[in-house]
Amino acid sequence: MEIVHITEAKDLAPEDQKVCEATKAWFKIDFVPKMSRVLLTVPEFGRPYGRASRRAMADGALTRAQKELIASMVSAINVCEY
Amino acid sequence: MAGVTHALNAVADGLRLPLEFSPSARQPVLPLPDPADAPPELKAVFDDIAGFYAMDRPPAVFRWMGRDVGYLQDYWGATREAFADRALDRLMKEILALAASMTGKSDYGVDFHLREARRLGLSDRALTEAIEVVQLFNTVTKIADALRLQPDFDPRSTG
Repeated sequence: MEIVHITEAKDLAPEDQKVCEATKAWFKIDFVPKMSRVLLTVPEFGRPYGRASRRAMADGALTRAQKELIASMVSAINVCEY
Repeated sequence: MAGVTHALNAVADGLRLPLEFSPSARQPVLPLPDPADAPPELKAVFDDIAGFYAMDRPPAVFRWMGRDVGYLQDYWGATREAFADRALDRLMKEILALAASMTGKSDYGVDFHLREARRLGLSDRALTEAIEVVQLFNTVTKIADALRLQPDFDPRSTG
């Protein structure tokens, strides 16, 4: 059970709602991940963190798929179910 | 691969094995077999391991395992398969092992897999990108766990 209230995307600031829509498009999903909404609960943290994430996860010397594999490995070692 | 990497790192750091490629003051807490004194059956495995990693002797973590040659033969066989070129190539697997080692805070693993990845062609740019991903996901996994976030979806329902 989550220990915080997770804000609905519609209750975020308009500029953050746009970020949420971009997140849905990025992941090709029809919902806004809880993590995105949690991070944007503190926009001063969530906005730059989101920009850093999008920059880091884009295709570069490593492909996006390879980066997702690395992310999965980190999650596995940290035993993070989310 | 995650399991093998994590286990080898746990043993190497637990036994305080010296780093293979970086300066290290660590002293093993238990004696390691000397490859020069290895009987033929053990020497054959040691040579295979050293060849796989392009080293002049097997890494210390495998030398330790040489105390039980039957165990080493099988564990090395599994390790070699885990890191072989298949759907993922060896370089990608070394990058993943490096990510696992950084996340698990293994000095031995970071030293070892960084060298292997470099040897197999990891560029500065790709290394930077990989470490950025490690940092980002060590951030969000800790946030997710601290807040006990439940998954957004059932991973079994995805392709």
